Amino acid sequence: MSGGRLGYVGHQMSGRPDPGRRRILVMAGLVSAALLVIVCQLWYLQVLEGGRFQEASDKNRTRIRPIAAPRGILFDRHGLPLVDNRPAFTLSLIPRELERDPAARDATLGRLASLLHIPFAELQEAVARIPPDSILPVRVRRGLSMDDVARVEEWKLELPGVIVEVEPQRAYPTSRFAAHLLGYVREANDEQLKQGRYRRGDMVGQSGLERLLDEFLRGKDGGERIEVDAMGRQIRLIQSTEPHPGAEVVTTVDRRIQEAAERAMEGLAGSVVVMDPRNGDVLAMVSTPAFEIDRFTGTIERNAWLRVIQDPDHPLLNRTIQSQYAPGSVFKIVVAAAGLQEGTLAPTDRTHCTGEFQLGRWTFKDWKEGGHGSVDLLDAMRHSCNVFFYEKGLKIGGAVIAKYAAAFGFGTPTRIDLPGEKLGLIPKPKLRRDRRVGGGWHAGETVNMSIGQGAILVTPMQVARFMSAVANGGVLWKPRLVQRIVRPDKGVVWSDGGTVTGHVELSPMVWAFLRQSLWVAVNDGGTGAAARIPGIDIAGKTGTAQMIAKSRADKGQDHAWFASFAPVREPEVVVVVLVERGGKGGQVAAPIARKIFNAIFLEKVASIELGG
Amino acid sequence: MVGIDRRLLQNVDWPLVGATVGLVILSASTLATLQVGRAGGGVALRQLAWFGVGLVALLVVASVDYRRLVRAAPLFYLAGLAALVAVSMFGRTVSGARRWLLVGPVSVQPSELFKICFVLMAVWLVTSHWAQPVGKTALVLAAPLAVVPAALIVKQPDLGTAVLLFPVLLALLVAAGLQLRLLGGLVLAGLAATPLAWFILLRDYQRERILVFLDPLRDPLGSAYNVIQAKIAIGSGQLLGKGVAGATQSRLAFLPERHTDFIFAVFAETWGFVGCLVLLACYALLLARGFDIAASTREPVGRLVALGVTCLVASQVLVNVGMVTGLLPVVGIPLPLMSYGGSSMVVSMMALGLLLSVRMRQFQ
Repeated sequence: MSGGRLGYVGHQMSGRPDPGRRRILVMAGLVSAALLVIVCQLWYLQVLEGGRFQEASDKNRTRIRPIAAPRGILFDRHGLPLVDNRPAFTLSLIPRELERDPAARDATLGRLASLLHIPFAELQEAVARIPPDSILPVRVRRGLSMDDVARVEEWKLELPGVIVEVEPQRAYPTSRFAAHLLGYVREANDEQLKQGRYRRGDMVGQSGLERLLDEFLRGKDGGERIEVDAMGRQIRLIQSTEPHPGAEVVTTVDRRIQEAAERAMEGLAGSVVVMDPRNGDVLAMVSTPAFEIDRFTGTIERNAWLRVIQDPDHPLLNRTIQSQYAPGSVFKIVVAAAGLQEGTLAPTDRTHCTGEFQLGRWTFKDWKEGGHGSVDLLDAMRHSCNVFFYEKGLKIGGAVIAKYAAAFGFGTPTRIDLPGEKLGLIPKPKLRRDRRVGGGWHAGETVNMSIGQGAILVTPMQVARFMSAVANGGVLWKPRLVQRIVRPDKGVVWSDGGTVTGHVELSPMVWAFLRQSLWVAVNDGGTGAAARIPGIDIAGKTGTAQMIAKSRADKGQDHAWFASFAPVREPEVVVVVLVERGGKGGQVAAPIARKIFNAIFLEKVASIELGG
Repeated sequence: MVGIDRRLLQNVDWPLVGATVGLVILSASTLATLQVGRAGGGVALRQLAWFGVGLVALLVVASVDYRRLVRAAPLFYLAGLAALVAVSMFGRTVSGARRWLLVGPVSVQPSELFKICFVLMAVWLVTSHWAQPVGKTALVLAAPLAVVPAALIVKQPDLGTAVLLFPVLLALLVAAGLQLRLLGGLVLAGLAATPLAWFILLRDYQRERILVFLDPLRDPLGSAYNVIQAKIAIGSGQLLGKGVAGATQSRLAFLPERHTDFIFAVFAETWGFVGCLVLLACYALLLARGFDIAASTREPVGRLVALGVTCLVASQVLVNVGMVTGLLPVVGIPLPLMSYGGSSMVVSMMALGLLLSVRMRQFQ
């Protein structure tokens, strides 16, 4: 490096002038001056104007106003809404704006409690569990009436920190409409809060499809950051994030059929499943008594809740998948299928029914006093003759019947997309040589099983799947509830094309015979005659599931079954009806099925004609 | 330590080290009070971890003779430019700004690391024989050195970092003997070029920020929100501060970017005017040591390296605090050693490493 100008760059000799040093010191001076300016500014901001800014900081009442995303809507298969949203009022507290002084705060809460008739303790409890300096409103009570809102607004100045928010809330066509299918929506409970997926006050689906599809239905809340004055009035909007509404769910349910089935079951306990045998679509799913789904949404009084939980009729139970019953004579279809396919039973086999069947020292009775006389298989199906099936069942064998029952899906879950499904039970008979009296499998159990009694248990949904297989020639469908889920911004995010879970292999002759015998049972003087509608070829089997009488009051209160499909040639719909303690299937369940078939086929025809 | 003999260790500038450690402690304790990102003190711990990484960088930089670093400066500079180009092509975009490169698990901000390369390169050029005597020729040679990377950085967009390059270069030229006549001309030219930069280089939001600075009422709803909230935070700290629990402005998240660019406002609200004086005293001590090292080093390369990094830190501190206190427009520059951020921390520590290196070899 060569010598620089005036000795700036290049090795310095000590003693020579160092002008660069002087310039550096000037720079240091400039930086010091700048720092001094900053200190002066801080003095101005913090000391001279500090009080003013302190006030501004105290008054800095920014509020975060959450905008709840409307929950996604569930539609039926034709695009009719099964559930909707309507605006509802929610009482909320803003912790940071409540009075600091505990006494003054309690006075506010007391005023609020007496205005709205809310227990004071409930409000105190709500305040106690929230952090005191949060600016996020905390919901205290949903579903305020217009009167409540008016009262709160009137007393607004005396109620610092209390606000009324408007949020979308679930609205249902009728109070109990499809309650078990849809499920209810409530604030996240403590357990759900612990999972960390929800915030306090979030609405979460608690049962049915609302729970299953909660993730899709809930959407994403938006919010506004607003500045408010001391009275809580909005001065200006600082920031706003749009809420993203939840996804729309297209179900397989037909609202018209669902309504008709619910009407038909009014006042009875039991369930109805209507299924499309061609694809497993659940067209209707009714469990009665139902709970009042709209009362469960929002705030429910403790007593009302207890009443529902302690109700001996268990309205919360979804009987279509969570209750198990003996199938009764409906099971004769399985026995007939097993015998015909295995060759141990022929359509021409005859039995003389005297009304009683003797096995060792036990006597098994027919439902008809005096018996049916001489019957072949078709007659036995038509009149649901027990004695015929006692005898033939024994010949076919318990293990074989159990095998066919399992093939038809009994004893295994239908894998429907709802939680808490029961499996049912098919007793497992050992081989005949293991037979011992007082232990193991007893021949009497095979006899009982042949008419669908004894230890055997099924759910109505399993029966619907089974009847669909009979109708469609052996395909076991997973019951489908949801066709597709559509996000407003992204289109279809989930869809279900139907799932086959099994096949039952029977010869075409056997299928034909089963269908014919079921048609005869309804249309040719059989037990299912009460379901008959001229012009519609309904095929069906009645069943009467005996209750094991625990007391005298239980005696004679049998469950009534009717399992059916139509039209018999190209089945489009399966209807399964179960009425608890209803009595005889042919007298109680079949007429209900008739009403439902009527709604499905005739009212549709009528409406089309009207439309034309 | 490899490569450092005992004579060098005797010359460690302990006040400089003390000021640095003090600032890092203030930073970590301030970050610990903020609930940013993941659980509680997460940011504070990560800041301390970055301080550890920075310490290693400092030792590495200090153990090498800075003259060797300056000799290799063109290589560093070109590597730095390449990184900036890489960012503009495949950088990671965070809230609209493309400033980060993913290197394994960490995202690096090349524009931060580039600052050190730039200082070394500027020293290399100013002390090279082509630039002697420092005059018009040196100016013409030096100008593209800053303009090219500045253009790349402005496009990210990171106006603050880009602007920083110029005072540093100017300080080096002046200390190397640039005639004051030329300096005056340069200032005039800069003023003349302002409209050009205004319309070509700046983005709308950057222009808006400057306009809002000149007239806060222009847009009290949008851009001015940060400035107003920061002023309220600082002012309401008053003489002694509100303490950790009372600092509502900061805790309730009225303040944007409170753990990075606006951390000074959080500190000011919490500890008041007195706390600010302590913080600024730490910076003053650090800068005073820097200028002293530069002034007392007669070896020109060492002097200019020391001056360059001192000016770099000084301008960052002044611009950041100036912007948070409402004296300057908001340009988005981190406060060295205080703001949360790995790249910024490591670069600050490397700068200090260079200062220590010059000091240790002053009397060789």
